[in-house]
Amino acid sequence: MTESGEPVIRVSDLRKFYGDVKAVDGVSFEVGKGEVFGMLGPNGAGKTTTIEILEGLREPDSGKVEVFGMDVTRHAPSIKQRIGVQLQSVSLYPRLTVTELLDLFGSFFEHHLPTKQLIDAVDLGERAGARSMDLSGGQQQRLSIALALVNDPELIFLDEPTTGLDPQARRSLWELVKGLQGRGKSVMLTTHYMEEAAELCDRVAIMDHGHILEMGTVPELIGRRFKERAVFFDTSSKLESEKLARLAGVTRASQEDGQTVLYSANVAGTIGDLLALADSMDAEPRNLGIRQATLEDVFLDLTGRALRD
Amino acid sequence: METLLRLTVANMKGLVRDRAALFWTFFFPIMFVLLFGVLFSGSGDSKVSVGFVDEDGESAVSTQIRQQFESIPILTVQVGSLEDEKAAMQRGDVSAVIVVPKGLAAAIAAKQPLALQLYTDPSKTQTTQVVQGAATQIANGFNLGLAGGSTILGIDQQSLASTNISTVAYLVPSILAMALMQLGVFAAVPLVQQREKGILKRMGATPLARWKLVASNILLRMVVAAVDTVLILGVGIAVFHIQIVGNLAVAAGFVFLGAGAFLALGFMLASFLKTEEQATGVVQVVQMPLMFLSGIFFPFDFMPEFLRSVARLLPLTYLGDGLRQSMVNGTQIAPIALDAAILAGWLVVCLAVSARSFRWE
Repeated sequence: MTESGEPVIRVSDLRKFYGDVKAVDGVSFEVGKGEVFGMLGPNGAGKTTTIEILEGLREPDSGKVEVFGMDVTRHAPSIKQRIGVQLQSVSLYPRLTVTELLDLFGSFFEHHLPTKQLIDAVDLGERAGARSMDLSGGQQQRLSIALALVNDPELIFLDEPTTGLDPQARRSLWELVKGLQGRGKSVMLTTHYMEEAAELCDRVAIMDHGHILEMGTVPELIGRRFKERAVFFDTSSKLESEKLARLAGVTRASQEDGQTVLYSANVAGTIGDLLALADSMDAEPRNLGIRQATLEDVFLDLTGRALRD
Repeated sequence: METLLRLTVANMKGLVRDRAALFWTFFFPIMFVLLFGVLFSGSGDSKVSVGFVDEDGESAVSTQIRQQFESIPILTVQVGSLEDEKAAMQRGDVSAVIVVPKGLAAAIAAKQPLALQLYTDPSKTQTTQVVQGAATQIANGFNLGLAGGSTILGIDQQSLASTNISTVAYLVPSILAMALMQLGVFAAVPLVQQREKGILKRMGATPLARWKLVASNILLRMVVAAVDTVLILGVGIAVFHIQIVGNLAVAAGFVFLGAGAFLALGFMLASFLKTEEQATGVVQVVQMPLMFLSGIFFPFDFMPEFLRSVARLLPLTYLGDGLRQSMVNGTQIAPIALDAAILAGWLVVCLAVSARSFRWE
């Protein structure tokens, strides 16, 4: 879905160290106009540092960082006029109402959208007069998106926009982001939810320890590592891994959270063999299922760790 | 400019909608005034002492005038030289001084107009009125009896600040000084809170210039300082009838200089504090000793020497002194220009430290 033309973000060999901690250690990527680009990684991977450098909140130690073709450190004021920012877990002036906050933030920009329109865009009409401290988590997050949209930005940064939200609130936020993309906005978001990245992002960069490990569309990332599909079932002591690894089509066997996962190039053969083996051992593979490999598998394969919050 | 105003209004709304902040900012100082006012206003002397200076060499006329003053029950008259009696008034031993000028007897005989001189302290409304009333009555009686109603004996009234201003008049500028100190120092708390919550950082991601953020904070506190001043003086005047004398422009200057100096101190505290809890605690640790060691609530002369040396180090001492001198002609701890210079020094030093150390996140 990436459109051609000048990228809105161009980062090359970005580094940011805090003492001995290499928060961002040589990161390069581009985000195209109209693209939704996701940075996926566990806490401490360097996602937030990267995004805050792009927002002009931190100075890079080295590397080239451009937004709209302009250097972020030298042109921060004009870049800030054109970007929308939603920070991770920010609370706002607690005693101002939704309308007052949007009016206030609007006044910071040369051009801004009518407050009414913003409130409608994030569906906060019923709470327009409520103080921000009285909003629910999901409503606060929607307010914070509305504040990011106040200047009708071309590029929007969302730092973990759905962390801490219930599934319903998360869904409604996803719809909002999709709507932004529909209106031609570029979006860069960070998340540690695989599902979110898969649902929203045209392209994903997987980040860990300050490095980008892999980058591409979700199918690309999965296809690059997993030609196989995964056969999984509750781990049973009677079904030993050495034996499982020798079943037809199995390329690799692993244990994840009490489940045994067999990556198989021949699912039918693997399941046939598995059931025969189970029968001979007088065991039953409970909760047997088949699935495509997911981003989760990609992350696990890349880092040896599960990506959970 | 629009941005600056909107930010200030936003901060103002935040303050007004926060009941606890509202209480500490506006009601607490007023309660102080009322409480102290009620505690101390009853303790005034019922008798008024006046000094009597006879420069007419105990002539028949001057003796008669003295006897008439002595016959007024509310007055206690002590006789002495002009120098002694003026000194006594400055010490607070007498509330007013009456001077019978040299050559009065001769002037009256020749029907030449001449005036009694009256030294009063305009900050002490009640005693001034009593003494003035007595003098007018006596002069009128004289004129009627001697000259058939034409004015020969007049009254020439002069102001002389007396040390012994009423306790309430002494305390009102002190309470104002306390309120200005608190509004400045307490400003550290919302700043730390806004930083901790990421509000300052979020603002940093907009094109809003940082100086506007700082300026709106200063503007808000100056508005609060003005409101506090009006409220505190208003209660002092309306309820306890204190008299504001002295230069109002200088007094207003001290209000804003003082608010500025302590706001700078608040900024400096906010530079070193990380969490809201920390800020709330440290602000108390800073303001309590300022309040009680600065000598704003006790006359400086009553303090033991070591406390006086402590008080001389604290900026609140000089704000209290400056306000007292410019509002009620109160005791002088330092010359008024030195008061201003010390506050300005604090302002500059604290601002410089804040500019170097303040963190926006």
